Amino acid sequence: MKYPLIVLALLVATVNLTAQDDLLDMLEAEESTKNYKVGPTWKTMKLVNLHSTSMVKKNGLDFRVTHRFGSIGEKSGGGVHNLYGLDISDDIRISFDYGITENLQIGIGRSKYSELIDASIKYKVLAQKERKAPLTLVVLGNIATTPQQAVDTRYDDWLNTLSYFSQVIIARKLGDRFSFEFAPSLLYRNLVLKTTDIDGVNAKDENVNISLGFGGRFMITKRVGIIVDYMYTFSEYRSNYRPINYYDPFGVGVEIETGGHVFHITMTNAAGIVENNYIPNTTANWGDGGIKLGFNISRVFQF
Amino acid sequence: MRNIYTALATIFLGIGALSAQDIFMVDSSYVHFFSEATLENIEAENNKAKGLINRANSKVAFLIPIKSFEFDKALMKEHFNENYMESEKFKTATFKGQINEKINWKKEGSYNVTVTGIINVHGVEKSRTIKGKLMVKESRIRVQTKFELKLVDHDIEIPTVVFQKIAEVIDVTVDLQFSLKK
Repeated sequence: MKYPLIVLALLVATVNLTAQDDLLDMLEAEESTKNYKVGPTWKTMKLVNLHSTSMVKKNGLDFRVTHRFGSIGEKSGGGVHNLYGLDISDDIRISFDYGITENLQIGIGRSKYSELIDASIKYKVLAQKERKAPLTLVVLGNIATTPQQAVDTRYDDWLNTLSYFSQVIIARKLGDRFSFEFAPSLLYRNLVLKTTDIDGVNAKDENVNISLGFGGRFMITKRVGIIVDYMYTFSEYRSNYRPINYYDPFGVGVEIETGGHVFHITMTNAAGIVENNYIPNTTANWGDGGIKLGFNISRVFQF
Repeated sequence: MRNIYTALATIFLGIGALSAQDIFMVDSSYVHFFSEATLENIEAENNKAKGLINRANSKVAFLIPIKSFEFDKALMKEHFNENYMESEKFKTATFKGQINEKINWKKEGSYNVTVTGIINVHGVEKSRTIKGKLMVKESRIRVQTKFELKLVDHDIEIPTVVFQKIAEVIDVTVDLQFSLKK
């Protein structure tokens, strides 16, 4: 009766002593209760067309040059005589984005497409953590104007040139290689044009466009990855108006990070680079060779 | 019967109390690393390091959470974690070892010591003997050391595409202050 108890007591004591003996185990046990933020979901703030949840770091300035050539396929205006779209530039955008805090950034940009000038603000509401916080959530908004001399005199009124875009981006990083996101979005344009189709039926474009964006990235190596995105727009006008065929932007690209620079080589059917342009105006499609080669260079200056 | 239990309880509690009195825990830490590079030097600080010393057997253990290294530039921190240290996979750097010299823990003073043990950085273990200075003062212990870490020893790759060239040897400075573990 006595002996088993003593043996038990000795066992407990031994276990107790060994536990205290392995100092590193004690430290590791304590460390394992910590809940750190998960590493970067993306390498830069845009995929092909879609914004990512990535932000410029505090006191960082992201200088970006994005270029989109013309369509490759002959049916869509490409072909050998403009070297499969390489002689054409559908859009060029130069932009600067600055990180005010770790979670807030502002930016300005200018596009060739409809001479769009946009100012944007992006705010990180939630960052994915190892436990309990499974998602990153970012909200984005912009205001843009097209100071072009439009054929329509109504654009002479400056207010009519304005459009506003807002988006909620929800992303998750799954392991080392894979990240994905979806992004409910809303675009509002102050002025949209009435058009008449061949049957003489009046059709009016919508001021409000609601879209849903999907994006993903797969890293092949630590620095090279494949990026994909797609933007679906809920629009009766775009589905039914036949004189012009509208399509949803779909993009694929290769992402290369070189420490300070991020390069993208992309293919997409969207001509415009900014949402305010590509959501309402994408009329090229992959099936007809309406694919535009493009690239993006991002250089971050940290102050 | 009851007496035996009491005796046993006293002995075990006694042993427990004794070993607890011998364990010192980091209450203030400073870890710094420096790497000379062509464009700009890379350095970072970490004050989230943890450590334990057992006076009874002169064993030491030490742990640094990689994500807690703070850089001047936030982008450097991101690259350090994502590209070099792969801190999602290898969350900590650790050291576990034994002080080779005999130390009179009761006496105040400063000792030059060597600690032999295993250092684990980037998930790769390496046996090392590291020189340092150990100071005993007013029931506190302070450990200071400076050593070099070769990236190649721990399979930390220096990518060829990076514009910034990074030194292959990193200087690490450690300053830890211990007090009795409660």
